[in-house]
Amino acid sequence: MEISNSIYGDMYPYLIETMDRLTCHIEAIREDMKRSNGMDPVEHVLGRIKSEESMREKCRRNDLPEDKDSALDKIHDAIGIRIVCAFIDDVYVMRDKILELEGIELFKEKDYIKHVKPNGYRSFHMIIRVDGKVYAEIQLRTISMDTWAALEHHMKYKKNIQGNNELIVRELKRCADELASTDESMQTLKDMINDL
Amino acid sequence: MRILIAEDTEDLNRVVTAMLNHAGYDVDQVYDGMAALEAMDTSGYDAVILDIMMPKLDGISVLRNMRERNILTPVLLLTAKAEIDDRVEGLEAGADDYLPKPFAMKELLARIKAMTRRTSYNNKSSGFANYILNGDTLELIAENTVRLSLKEYEVLSVFTVNAGKELTTEYILERIWGNDTDKADVDTIYLYVNYLRRKLKGVAAGAYIDGERGGSYILKSKD
Repeated sequence: MEISNSIYGDMYPYLIETMDRLTCHIEAIREDMKRSNGMDPVEHVLGRIKSEESMREKCRRNDLPEDKDSALDKIHDAIGIRIVCAFIDDVYVMRDKILELEGIELFKEKDYIKHVKPNGYRSFHMIIRVDGKVYAEIQLRTISMDTWAALEHHMKYKKNIQGNNELIVRELKRCADELASTDESMQTLKDMINDL
Repeated sequence: MRILIAEDTEDLNRVVTAMLNHAGYDVDQVYDGMAALEAMDTSGYDAVILDIMMPKLDGISVLRNMRERNILTPVLLLTAKAEIDDRVEGLEAGADDYLPKPFAMKELLARIKAMTRRTSYNNKSSGFANYILNGDTLELIAENTVRLSLKEYEVLSVFTVNAGKELTTEYILERIWGNDTDKADVDTIYLYVNYLRRKLKGVAAGAYIDGERGGSYILKSKD
């Protein structure tokens, strides 16, 4: 990509570097926990830099000029990392461990696990500032929350296709509440096994 | 709301009736089990209070007879304190709740209210603090919602109906697992209480379950 044309200006390589550094740190936390508890708290980690196109679209949607300042300082998810955990308590463990990392500062967080969205969406979102320079959005959730979000996203994407939309929305909500219940049961069982 | 009371101790019958009248209920009084059945043949009730020890026909037999004939009116049993077997037998025979003697009038009234409230909430739903337990969908609803399994729902229902009251592990076992006690023990109850603890927290309910493994548990409000 031509640097002069990019909405990220000359910062694109720095964004990639920061994202890689964060994922490395997360890997290190996993290794550490595997050694101490014998269990990996994380199922998988995904990182991405928001595409040129979506970033420009988001600027337009928010009435911001399509420039580097908007992309890096006004909008905070140029770097996005998703951490998918097996168990619900691991979401909060990972949150705490990430905030203990050097150079990381919490900018804001939204707990959609404690404050579930009306459609049933559950996830823990936080925006952090790395080395006082760039922002990154970290989404933490369990495998079942991730599966649910994937299907919900798929439904939104296919919204124009005919079908009983109301039924699907209602059933998705039901599944979200069943999955959440199972997440809590699995954690309870895990705790009980650990206490044996 | 119309209530039938069958209690052979005349003083107690009179006091309870006066208290229920005062609380706005219509009350029919009978003094033995046969009269209770006859009353139910002629009128419908929203709740029935049955003493266990009664002349002519005891409370449990009245209850069995009712359930056999598919009369599903909620029943509150009055038991003497020592009659643990009677209580268990009563619950198994289809009682909705029991109250050991001696009891406080306030508690009797609260139980009657809870029992009749349950029938008006589409027969099943209940609630405590800020949560609602929906008996049709098995949803536990406070700030968030989760769907419970049938057994979880049943256990939480017992806690909800008996909020603020200590429930022994044995009582919960009997009430929910009944004759299936080979499939459940002290650990089962502890596990289900722990499931419910996390789920109450998960929906941000203003209530929690206190108590330890094998002992008594009690559902309390956070305030």
